[in-house]
Amino acid sequence: MTKRIIVLLLVVMAVLPVIAGGSKEIAQPSQENPMAWMEGPSVNGLPGVNPIKVRGNIISAGSSTVYPLSERMAERFKEEGYSGNITIDSIGSGAGFERFTVAGETDIANASRPIKSAEIEAAKKIGRNPIEFRVGTDALAVTVSKENTFLENVTMKQLGQIFSTAELWSDVDPSWPSQPIQRFIPGTDSGTFDYFAEEVFDKQFEPLLAASNLQLSEDDNILVQGIEGSPYAIGFFGYAYYAANAESLHIVAIEGVQASAVNVDNGTYPLARPLFIYSDATIMNEKPQVAAFIDFYLSYVDEEVIGVGYFPANEEAIERGRTAWLKAMGM
Amino acid sequence: MTTISRKARITSRIPETIMFLFALISIVITVGIAVILIRESYLFFNDPAVNLWGFLTGKEWQPMIDKFGFLPLLNATLTTSVIAMSLGIPVGLSVAIYLSEYATDRTRAILKPVLEVLAGIPTIVYGYFALTFMTPLLRSLFGDGVVEIYNTASAGLVIGILVLPMIATMAEDAIGAVPKELRLAAYALGGTKLETTFKVVIPAALSGLSATFLLALSRAIGETMVVALAAGAGPNLTANPFDAAETITGYIVRISGGDVSYNSVDYNSIFALGLVLFVITFTLNLISRKISNRFHQEYE
Repeated sequence: MTKRIIVLLLVVMAVLPVIAGGSKEIAQPSQENPMAWMEGPSVNGLPGVNPIKVRGNIISAGSSTVYPLSERMAERFKEEGYSGNITIDSIGSGAGFERFTVAGETDIANASRPIKSAEIEAAKKIGRNPIEFRVGTDALAVTVSKENTFLENVTMKQLGQIFSTAELWSDVDPSWPSQPIQRFIPGTDSGTFDYFAEEVFDKQFEPLLAASNLQLSEDDNILVQGIEGSPYAIGFFGYAYYAANAESLHIVAIEGVQASAVNVDNGTYPLARPLFIYSDATIMNEKPQVAAFIDFYLSYVDEEVIGVGYFPANEEAIERGRTAWLKAMGM
Repeated sequence: MTTISRKARITSRIPETIMFLFALISIVITVGIAVILIRESYLFFNDPAVNLWGFLTGKEWQPMIDKFGFLPLLNATLTTSVIAMSLGIPVGLSVAIYLSEYATDRTRAILKPVLEVLAGIPTIVYGYFALTFMTPLLRSLFGDGVVEIYNTASAGLVIGILVLPMIATMAEDAIGAVPKELRLAAYALGGTKLETTFKVVIPAALSGLSATFLLALSRAIGETMVVALAAGAGPNLTANPFDAAETITGYIVRISGGDVSYNSVDYNSIFALGLVLFVITFTLNLISRKISNRFHQEYE
């Protein structure tokens, strides 16, 4: 009889932890100096980073436009010896800020637009003070399929018609085919969507959403696939996704200006926009791995940004980020 | 009564209680889901811009700009489900009839495991199958200009394949439950194998078969991954299955995947849509139970 009870108790004990949910993570007390990673020659005023000595994980989320760049930086960080985990969720700038400022789940927010004042207010409520770091510049790419033979250049006005009221291509320009326009655009919470609405529709997003034949997705690969699929499809997203699919997509010039490093740098390309990452001084001090990663990011982003498909930010903007980093770390 | 027998009674009660608690948990979870769906949907319908009538009859769905008609989503869901059923039912039923009435033990031994493999494929794989195989196939048959890259026909056909093993297995059970005496009586009256199968066995199994079809339909309506990948990512009220259109589940998956912030009306809208889906599939399952109970014929 007692034997049975013992067996039963054992079974219950075996099952209980499973019901209670996963084991809690145990914070590992680090014996070493948490700032031990500051090593080597300083880069443009920021302390040198030795990724081998960086401990702990980093959580980030936000813009799908910034995602490939952050991913490349994280990869390089790991290649140079970082052994922790960097989570980068590609969920759109707005949702990224939401996680950073409301839920407070992330250490870094990736964004393809500056933070809004309401978002800063929200952050203050949970004791966070967002710090902005400029990491690059994107030229928003308006693309069509390679099979599209009629669209080489659009004016901003035509762009507005194409993405709102026009049903057929011929409604915009009679010399274009009388075929329905198929639109593939980023979802409503993406910074790319906001930016496009701001530039093309003067901050109104209603016309953009009221268009017919509209497909929205936060996943830029879904957009790429959709645009490739028909000569009458059109869409827009960050330049890197065009660069990665340049053999199947065709980029459209805007007001006669091609998206190129020169035109982005001299400000003539109408749809160039800044890319940012955001963090907070308290997080950077409590989690030195975050400070280390941002230091690393700002130090080497210019070497990676073109490979990813974006353009370097001007030196002044990056320098502001470096100054902010030093101030946050009390250096 | 001795103390020992009381002890024995107590020890035998312990496992019973534990199992009861687990059974209780499943009920609590179901009720919890319903409560959350209803509460969050209430938030949605409470929004001044939303009204129930407009929700049920409106022809445009774009919550960001206060367009709350869910007909485009419902229409896409019905389109994919109907296409799925028109592939799944005839094929699944034929497989079931073949398996239970005609197949030799050897073919059965091969066919059954193959069906089970089909049932075990993750739905995300079916989704990519739709996008990278079914859509190009449809486009080569009907022309690139006719079939859009994302379309409900491709998603529907693949859902049909997805529910096929379910239909085949359940229908085979229903047919297998028809007593042997009925078949023998039909043969005795001079019926051929074909006549016996279609005039005696199938009608006798009809209640089980209808229940099967309804369950498969509710599975098709609730299917998410395939439509999220292949059907389209924008609400579109269209009767053309070669056009892109977003289903109820497709919309929910897009919005909950980080598309909008919490506490916005779009976010709340997914709970209202979840409630609609819950009501639809729940009703279908109830009807299917009713049918199999009421028309279940007792032979003895």
